Order: sequence, then structure tokens, then C-alpha cells
Amino acid sequence: MIITARIFNVEKGTKEDKFHFDIKWIVILVIIAFLVIFQVFPLLYLIVRSFFPEGSFTLKGFQRIYSYALNWTALKNTIISAGLAMIFGVLLAFPLAWLVGRTNMYGKKFFRTLFVTTYMVPPYVGAMAWLRLLNPTVGNLNVFIQKIFGLEKAPFDIYTMGGLVWVLTTFYYPYAFITISRAMEKMDPSLEEASRISGASPLKTLRTITLPMTLPSIVAAGLLVFVAAASCYGIPSIVGAPGQIHTVTTRIIDYVYIGSQEGLTDATVLAVFLMALALIILYVSTVPIGKKQYITVSGKSTRPNIVDLGRWRLPITILVSIFAIIVVVIPFATVFATSFTVNMGNPLSFSNFTLKYWKTIFTRDAIIGSTKNSFLSAILAATFGMIISCTMAYLLKRTKVKGKGIPDFLITIGSGTPSVVIALSLIMTMSGKFVINIYNTLAIMVIAYIIKYMLMGMRTVVSAFSQISPSLEEAAQISGAGWLKRYKDVIIPLILPSIVAGWFLIFMPSFYELTMSTLLYSNNTKTLGVELYTYQTYHSQQTASALASAILLLVIVLNWVLNKLTKGKFSI
Amino acid sequence: MSVVTITNVTKAFGDVVVLKQFNDEFKDGEFITLLGPSGCGKTTMLRMIAGFEKPTSGEIKIDDKVVSSDTLFVPPEKREIGMVFQSYAVWPHMNVFDNVAYPLKIKKVPKNEIKKRVMDILETVHLSQYAERMPSQLSGGQQQRVALGRALVAAPKLLLLDEPLSNLDAKLRESMRYEIKEIQRKMGITVVFVTHDQVEAMTMSDRVIVINHGVVQQVGTPYEIYRNPANQFVADFVGKVNFIKGHAKDHKVTLQGIGIDIPYQGELEGDVIVTIRPENIKMVSKEEAEVTGKLSKYFFLGNEYDCFIDINGVSVRVVVPSVEYSYLQPGQEVHLQLRDYIVHK
Repeated sequence: MIITARIFNVEKGTKEDKFHFDIKWIVILVIIAFLVIFQVFPLLYLIVRSFFPEGSFTLKGFQRIYSYALNWTALKNTIISAGLAMIFGVLLAFPLAWLVGRTNMYGKKFFRTLFVTTYMVPPYVGAMAWLRLLNPTVGNLNVFIQKIFGLEKAPFDIYTMGGLVWVLTTFYYPYAFITISRAMEKMDPSLEEASRISGASPLKTLRTITLPMTLPSIVAAGLLVFVAAASCYGIPSIVGAPGQIHTVTTRIIDYVYIGSQEGLTDATVLAVFLMALALIILYVSTVPIGKKQYITVSGKSTRPNIVDLGRWRLPITILVSIFAIIVVVIPFATVFATSFTVNMGNPLSFSNFTLKYWKTIFTRDAIIGSTKNSFLSAILAATFGMIISCTMAYLLKRTKVKGKGIPDFLITIGSGTPSVVIALSLIMTMSGKFVINIYNTLAIMVIAYIIKYMLMGMRTVVSAFSQISPSLEEAAQISGAGWLKRYKDVIIPLILPSIVAGWFLIFMPSFYELTMSTLLYSNNTKTLGVELYTYQTYHSQQTASALASAILLLVIVLNWVLNKLTKGKFSI
Repeated sequence: MSVVTITNVTKAFGDVVVLKQFNDEFKDGEFITLLGPSGCGKTTMLRMIAGFEKPTSGEIKIDDKVVSSDTLFVPPEKREIGMVFQSYAVWPHMNVFDNVAYPLKIKKVPKNEIKKRVMDILETVHLSQYAERMPSQLSGGQQQRVALGRALVAAPKLLLLDEPLSNLDAKLRESMRYEIKEIQRKMGITVVFVTHDQVEAMTMSDRVIVINHGVVQQVGTPYEIYRNPANQFVADFVGKVNFIKGHAKDHKVTLQGIGIDIPYQGELEGDVIVTIRPENIKMVSKEEAEVTGKLSKYFFLGNEYDCFIDINGVSVRVVVPSVEYSYLQPGQEVHLQLRDYIVHK
């Protein structure tokens, strides 16, 4: 479709201009139609329904948010846990980003990769790990500390607000780390050099130049963590729910499971509230900050000046290593070890070692079926998502057609909407109430994944497109190449790495997705995330751990493949 | 025979007219330069010849075939033109050979002939030993040659050069100038060259078209453009120049401030501007002096001195050979004669 639009535009004369316009319009309209049917309409329906629960206008639903204790507590818990995760996340991420990006700390590249990679790990894996470590009665770490210090009682309890905040922080600080690192990379180093030459010490420069210059990004990073933590379902459902700490997301899903009319109304209202919160925050954090960031971007020298840590170099490296061990190594090792443990009460040893859970995950029909479902739906989501992304990138970067900004805007909104809200809106509108009935099919999940994760793919291709100077295409054209040849010989080879990277960026989160799948799966369309969650909560933590380890290994392998395929240009 | 015929071409982007009523014919084997400051419309004209922009009105013919008019538009890939882009536009994912071979592959030239022609052209642009290299392993100058080779390999009648030298360092730029000129002469190809650098225009062109604000200011040989600029803009844009206010009457011009009369054969009367190049003001002995001034400051340029001379409060720029005038001191009195000036209204 992209290509047809191109050929007509270039090869025919002025008179047919209107005609080409139409073809591009059709492409845009198809994309807009998809987004309107499966994203805009469901979300709008959700909003309308929250004001008209029984057909007539009422604010009763919103009143119930604070008048009904269950809702009110959930909202409070969400704001407190996400707020604290935001604060702690930024407090961790800024020094780490600075140390990794601007100092001569040992092993910077390694730490960078390590912190960024955690970003790709499904959050519920972290919850599983910390559950195992800090369970108040049998948590490995608790038992260990108790033994060493001879304590009577376990020092930590994961089933508390503190536990929830801890797990949220350790799993969402990479969001802030990535955002702040990127801002620091973009900042013109000569701004800091000017401060140093004016007589300021490295620390003073950090305080008076680096910190204020990156402040917009720090705020954006914090808000990003807040929205991610507030929208999260996996962690609060595994860590919070057993301790009766409910959040908005777990509440919504409980209401949907109960299925009563009143519960559904409560779910709708909470979802609308959560969506509004997320979208407003994302809007606030991107709009003014987006503008501000351009001032600091110079694009000239990219080598920042490196602060010499002097005698603090080793102590700081050790400190960061300890942090990495606690936050990354121990949890993953715990999940991995759990998958081989016979008796959960005892630590892993020769007599307590088994491969049966690994055997289970590769032999049990239900698990194999779920794995197939996840592969299939993630492949479909990634492929369709990238078809839309490439078309949009082409329209945005190579044409002047009107209305090309609309799908872009809608895609951004879709990705900013909390998963639980997208899933709820799809359930309520796509189960036959309005002509379309795709409930209980794989299609509804594929659509949900596309809406939630397409933005990452699109951004990747768009930035690739903007890096290709139009003259590269023109040079081919003047050499006699028509549109098809130009695409085949010049454009496609140059953006292929980005298309591959974008595909993986949609595939991976879709593959292990939990929140939306929890609401959308049926018996025939159970996915890996749901399977794992069910095992973790109801059946066998060891089987769940084996599954989680397998997913982790897959993510690492795919990341490696991606890195090789794109010659080191992309990894996650 | 004309290779390119441009008739009444106007180009506007929205309400902004970037090129007004352009008319010219480029002859076979001619080296044409479009010269002007950035934003003057020269690149737009070039891109309209290439087919990357459509004229708002007017007609363009290449080889006596209409390629662009109100009713017809031939896309760039059908025009059989060679072009070198300012950014070179060498494809980063193809090696030197594949970059250069590309136009021939499009034309479905047999493989062994492609090989022969590419190697020939690489010889011409001095890249024979780099055929297997990737563009990232080449210097800017070498990438430039790849782009040139690619533009020439299909033996087009017309070669378009869009500021191809502007990204090179000074030394390389100079040698590329002569090289491009040499290649053009050898291949007998018609070249349209876009630049804002007057030295490039002077050294390479058969004919220079000076453009400002979308309007052609003057068309002529480099010599005509330099020695007989049509107006102040051309005089100023091409080389260093003094503009001195004066008053014309009875075949004489009285120079304002300086106070002397100089002979004038033209017809103008009243307030005029006298245009005189710094090298046409001679430093002479006291006896030969037409006018005397004080050397206020001067700069050593190697082969010459760039002098600023104060004559009764009017600053005049004079360029003299450094070997003969090594005795110059700031503040000293100098004696001058004025030669070869032009009088404009």
C-alpha cells in the first residue's frame, strides 16, 4: 500500500495529483479505522459507560470510588505504592545514570547493559523472586539473616506495602535509568566543560549544571515510573494481594472475575480514573519537557567529559556492584534455583535437586499449548504492528499528506493507556454487543498487544527513516531506479535492522504479557503469562519458576540474536 | 545543439517565489555554473532539471525532449542524467564497485560490460584500488569520487553537480576543481554546477549565471562577470570590491569625500556608484599620484597585502603584491592611481 502511493505520486503528472492523494488517504483511513474500531471506540465506550452506568447520566460511579471503602483503599494503595516507587526509582536511577555515563567507575558498560536488560524482564518474575526471598516464614533471605544474627522473628515481610514498594522500585527504576541516561547522553558536554573551565569542581558542576539541565528528563522519568507502577498488575497481584493490599489494577480484575453488574460498573469507573491519571501524567511529562529538551541537544561532540572519582573509584564500584547483586543477581538466581528445588522449605542442595519441573514445562500439554498460543499471538502482534509502523513511518517522514498525524497521535495514546484498561474496554465492546464478537479468540489478544506495544516499533522505524537522507533515495532515482527498485536496493536494506529491532520490541512484551491476557484469555487461548501466574499462585511455584527461567533465557537469547542481526546497532 | 532548454520557469513554494522567469539554453559540452548566495534559488533550478521538483510554470527540455511542462512530467529516473549530491549520497550498505555499478545494473547492462565500464570510470576518478571498500572506510574526498563515478558511469549527456565541493577541505577542494574540469573536457559532457563559491565558478565555468532572490542578475563568461559586473550585487558577490559614491557630470565623476574627479565615458548623470576592484587601485610614487591617503591597517595574505586606506575619511581597500611592498607600515602615507572602474546608477 505504501508503494502504490509512491509510484503514483512520482510518475504521473500534476493533473493526477488528487488521485494519488486518495490512495494515501485510503492507507491512512484503513489504519485510522483499525484504531478507531479497536481502540478509540472501546475506550470512549468505557468513559461513556462510567457516566451512564444504567442508561442515564450519573456521577454515582465516581462517588463510589471514595465512598466505597474497597475502592478507596485500592486507589490509596496505588498512589502510595506508585508514588514511593517513583521517588525511590529516581533516587536510584539518577546517581546510577551519572556514574555510568559521566564518571570513570569500573565496569560502566557492564553495569549499563545489566540495568537496561532488567527492563526486558517480565515484572512478575521479580515478584516471584522476592516472594521466595522475603516470605515472612520461609523466605530464604529472611531465614539466612535470622540465622546469622540470631533473630527470633523474620526481619522482612514481603506481604506489606513496604514489600510492594520494594519490588515495584527494583523493577521500574530501569525506566528512569534509561530516560535519564539518554538525556545525559544528549546533553552537550561543552556545557559542563564551560562550568569546569569557569572554576567549578566536578561535584559543583553536577549540582549546578548537569542536574538542572537534566531536570525535565528526571521529572519525566519519575512520572514514567509512576504510571508504569500504577498500571502494573503482576507485582501487586503476586506480592500485594496475599497481604490484602489491593491496588486499582487488582481490584479491576477482581471485579471482572466476579462479573456482577455493580462490580463491572466499579471496574469501569476505576479504569477510567486510572486511564485519565496515566494519560494526563504522560501528557504533562512529555509536552513541556519535549520542548525543553531540544535546547540542550547540540548533536556535536558526543564524548562527555569524564569525572575522575579519584580514591572513591573503587568504593563506589563496590557499592554499585552490591546494588546490582541485590537487585539483579539474587532475584534471578533465586527463580532459577527454585526451579530445581524439590522441597521449598529447604535450600537447594544435591538431595533437594530435581529436573522434574523443567521436564514438566516441556512435556505438559497445557503448558505447550499456552506456549504455542503466546508465540502465535506475539508473532501476529509484532508482524501486524510492524506493517502499520512501517506504513506510518513512511507517511510521516516521506509524504506531506494531511491527517498523517492522527494515527500517530492515536498510537501514542494507546501505548500510554494502562493494559488493564485496554483489556477491559475490549471485553466490554468486542463480545458481540456491537456487531463484532472476538471474545475468547486469539484475535482479541493480538489486537490488545498491538494497541499497547506498537508505539515502540513505530518509534524505531520512524527514527531510522529520519536518519536516511532523502538524497540517498534521490541518487538511486537519478540513476534510473523506479520506486520498487529504490525500495529494494536502498530504503529496505538501510532500515531493515530497525524493522527487525521494532519487531522484537513488540514481540517480547507480547510474548510474556500477563495483565491483558489475564482478562482476555479463554480455555483455548491461554497464554504463557497466564499459565505461569496460575502455577505461581495456585499450583507449584517450582513449575512457575522453571517457566519464568525459560522465558528469561529466551529473552536473553533473542536479545543476543537481535544484537547479531543488527550488527550491534540494537539490543534491548 | 542545446542539451537543456529552460523556458520561463518559475517556482513557488506556497506563496514564496524562489525562482522567477528563468530562461536559458545550455549548449552541448558547456560547463554552466549557477552562482548565488544560499536560498537564491540555484539549487531549486538544478533540482527542477533533475526532476526532484516540479516547476510551478514554464517548460524544461532535455535533448530537445520536453521533460517538464504544464501537461507533462518525466520523473528523474527516466531522464538519464548524472548527478552528484552535496552530501555525496553514497549508499552506506554497498561497496564502491556496487555504488558505481548501480546505474548500469538498472539499465540491465551485461555483467562483463558493467565490470569493464565501472573499472574504467574508477580509473578516471582514481579509485581503482578501492573497488571493494565500503563507504565508511573512505575519506570525504574519496566518497566524493565515488559519487562522481556513479554519476558518470552511464555516460549521461548531462551532469548535475549540487555544491559537490562544499564539504571538502580547502586543499582537496582545489584539486577536485581541476579534476572535475579535466574529466568534463575529456568526456565532452554538459555540466550544470551549483555553488556559492565564486572561485569555483571562476575557475571551472564556460558560463556563469548569477542569481539573487530568485532572479537572474547576470549571465556571462567568468571574465565578463568579474571585469564587467552588471550591477552592484554581482560586483560584490564575485570578488573583493570598493563602492565609492560619486556625482557624474560632463564625462567626469566627482568622488564624494575623496574630492577628486575621474574621467568617465558613459551617459549617466547625477548620483552614481563607482565600482573598483582593490587590485585596480595602484600604489605609485608621489609624483604619479592621483590621490593620497593614509594606510590605516593591512593584512598579510602571503602573496599579497590586503590594505585599508583612509582618504579624507573614506576607507578604500587596495590589494598589492607582497614582494614589492614589504616596506608598508601602518599610518604611512600612500599614493594611489585608480584604473578600470565601472560606474553604475
